[in-house]
Amino acid sequence: MTEARPALPEDELFRAEIVAWLDAHLCGDYEAVRHRGGPGDEEADPVLRRRWEQELARGGWTCVGWPKAEGGRGLSIAQQVIFHEEYARAGGPGRMGHIGETLLGPSLIAWGTPEQKARFLPGIRAGTEFWCQGYSEPNAGSDLANVQTRCWQEADGSWRVQGQKIWTSLAHESDWIFVVARCVPGSKGSKGLAFLLLPLRQPGISIRPIRQMAGGNEFNEVFFDGAVAEAGHIVGAPGEGWKIAMGLLEFERGLSTLGQQMHFLHEFELVLDAMRRSGRTHDAQLRQRVAQAWCGLRAMRYNALRVLADRADAGLRREALIYKHYWSNWHRELGKLAMDVLGPEADVVSDDPLIRRLQQLFFFSRADTIYAGTNEIQLNLIAERGLGLPREPRPAAA
Amino acid sequence: MDFDFSADAIALRDSIHRFLMVEAAPEMLREIWETASGRSAALRAKLADQGLTALSVPESHGGMGLGDLEWVLVQYELGYYAIPDSLSDTAYLAAHLLQHLPNGAAAKQDWLPRIASGQVRVAVGHPVNRLVADAELADLLLLWHADEIHALRRDQVQLAARTSIDASRRLFEVRWTASDATRICSAQAGAALWQAVHDRATVALAAQLLGLAQRMLDLGIDYAAQRKQFGKPIGSFQAVKHQLADVAVKIEFARPVLHRAAYALAEQQPLASIHASQAKLACGEAALLAARKSLQVHGAMGYTWEADLQMFMKRAWALDASWGDRSFHKARLAEHVLADGVRLGPGETFAIPEPAARATRAVRSATA
Ligand SMILES: Cc1cc2nc3c(=O)[nH]c(=O)nc-3n(C[C@H](O)[C@H](O)[C@H](O)COP(=O)(O)OP(=O)(O)OC[C@H]3O[C@@H](n4cnc5c(N)ncnc54)[C@H](O)[C@@H]3O)c2cc1C
Repeated sequence: MTEARPALPEDELFRAEIVAWLDAHLCGDYEAVRHRGGPGDEEADPVLRRRWEQELARGGWTCVGWPKAEGGRGLSIAQQVIFHEEYARAGGPGRMGHIGETLLGPSLIAWGTPEQKARFLPGIRAGTEFWCQGYSEPNAGSDLANVQTRCWQEADGSWRVQGQKIWTSLAHESDWIFVVARCVPGSKGSKGLAFLLLPLRQPGISIRPIRQMAGGNEFNEVFFDGAVAEAGHIVGAPGEGWKIAMGLLEFERGLSTLGQQMHFLHEFELVLDAMRRSGRTHDAQLRQRVAQAWCGLRAMRYNALRVLADRADAGLRREALIYKHYWSNWHRELGKLAMDVLGPEADVVSDDPLIRRLQQLFFFSRADTIYAGTNEIQLNLIAERGLGLPREPRPAAA
Repeated sequence: MDFDFSADAIALRDSIHRFLMVEAAPEMLREIWETASGRSAALRAKLADQGLTALSVPESHGGMGLGDLEWVLVQYELGYYAIPDSLSDTAYLAAHLLQHLPNGAAAKQDWLPRIASGQVRVAVGHPVNRLVADAELADLLLLWHADEIHALRRDQVQLAARTSIDASRRLFEVRWTASDATRICSAQAGAALWQAVHDRATVALAAQLLGLAQRMLDLGIDYAAQRKQFGKPIGSFQAVKHQLADVAVKIEFARPVLHRAAYALAEQQPLASIHASQAKLACGEAALLAARKSLQVHGAMGYTWEADLQMFMKRAWALDASWGDRSFHKARLAEHVLADGVRLGPGETFAIPEPAARATRAVRSATA
């Protein structure tokens, strides 16, 4: 085993290339969104960040891990790591396109038709079409298979959708939504579902913001009243929606998140900055927690590299299973550590960019153990699928 | 000591609990949050009607002459209902400072009766807090300056508001000039008074944090009973039950620590500060755990503005860092435990100084 293969000359060239590109492009107007727009800060200047996505795309720096044949850059794992490292180091703005790039795109590449790929991948790659995720409903959170939103096919083959989604992040900034809906009337659970792609701007869809604990409106309710999806915009066959939805979740819970790791590293460094600035580097308790956080960060990195390195192999499923639980708990604790490092400053709203960012980190990370599968659900999955323990008793089909 | 409170103290607590249940519903908190001053004269008047502003003002100055043991029960209720008011600063901390002023007859006569009758608000500025709570509406500010106590009217200070993440706290940077005219107590006498006030604030916050912990637990229990997933109340899942049970354990173990600290204050025990620090840590831990677990149990709903939980969580996070954060209080305990010659042996565990007679004052546990 090697920790990582020694850097190849082409990797170093590659690093120089991305550094130079960022240097030349992440400036001028874009100064305003450097280090902005990450988790907890999604509402930072969406117009400018949209433009930035297109700038990135023109440089060929979106979807860098997609295969070349699908319009990606086809980077090796090592180069993806380099890309994300340098992007984070330069303060690259939070990626508005991440749902398309890391969730829907890979799912279409895996299960989409050639027409769907041709229609949707270019918009994701170009930073011109943004996506949101329409899974959760008021009565289908952890029990996602309980979705009640209905869909049916019209004579012309197009689909109609009726129902409601909730907690839809960034719906108000997005162009398209992917939706899990029930296509077989009277079906229950994971059977009889369809996975549909709908443009958000249409008469049959209305979006209502939900105010979050920290005051912002990152997520929404989305109402469907006879909303239309084109005939060809169903991924998988009718009835296969669950399979697609779960496959996509694996991307979400798994290791679509190299960029996120670099972001964590950056946040960790901010915590250290705050600790130095507040003169608390001698505080024994804080020192221990910082050391602990660093250990966790390294463990995540090694794990990610290990898993990514043998992506081809069937190991992925099981690793993906554990990853979400690990990072979300680690990150939630980092958020608390950030507040404790700030001490009494932590709860005073501040213009100071460092304090503001750490406060955003704190608030947003309160939700880490909830979205994309709660802690409890993740642990059940690890126990049942990973360890083969008997399934939790479920009530007879409700 | 036993952990009984007097029947009168229990009766007081029960009546405050019932009163706040009616008067301080979460909708009212939200309304007050949205106002510019963040304070409600009507609410303050009602608190005064309940006698709370008079609680520890001596009878000679128009008050009830009660003390730390009654306050700890009241503070718990103030926490449970997240009362957005400077009652504690005015009627507990400032009242304590004023009534113990050496040679402070004039100040006592001026302010204590008005505190008791609920006519005035008093803010307290201690160096452990960079900002002063509720300075804007204060008629009087009692401010620390090199251990001296200075008394200033609102028009003698300049304020800059600083927004707290907890909208029920109103914090200010206070600019002012100390002078002979503003000084009401020398540093020599002031040091002990400021310490006594810090200890009382610490125990007051500990009690509020414990009340908050219980409230967040109750909200989590309610939600877990109502919310259904997989066709069952989520509270029927062991993973959810255990989250909430963990909180209950933390709360019950913090409660006697809190009461012990209040007792140490009431008896003016030499280690009162140590007891106070321990209480704040224990109650703060319970509150932080309750926030985390209750939010988890609420799922995405807990992350919204609309769910009441957020008001109590923010309050808990803010209070936990106020009047000395966790590092501060832990360091104080560590220093005490590690000091040479500390008596920690088995014989000391339950040791209490005399007079033991008063030790028989309180327990029916204040389980809400
Ligand atoms: C910030 C944020 C952004 C989000 N963005 C999106 C989005 O873009 N698109 C989208 O579709 N959804 C989104 N969600 C929703 C998210 O997927 C759900 O919150 C999550 O699936 C949990 O569902 P719930 O909130 O209904 O909680 P519930 O399912 O009601 O769970 C409540 C509690 O019960 C526990 N529980 C439930 N069932 C069990 C069980 N069987 N065993 C043990 N414990 C159980 C849970 O773990 C949790 O602690 C977002 C959520 C948040 C907080």
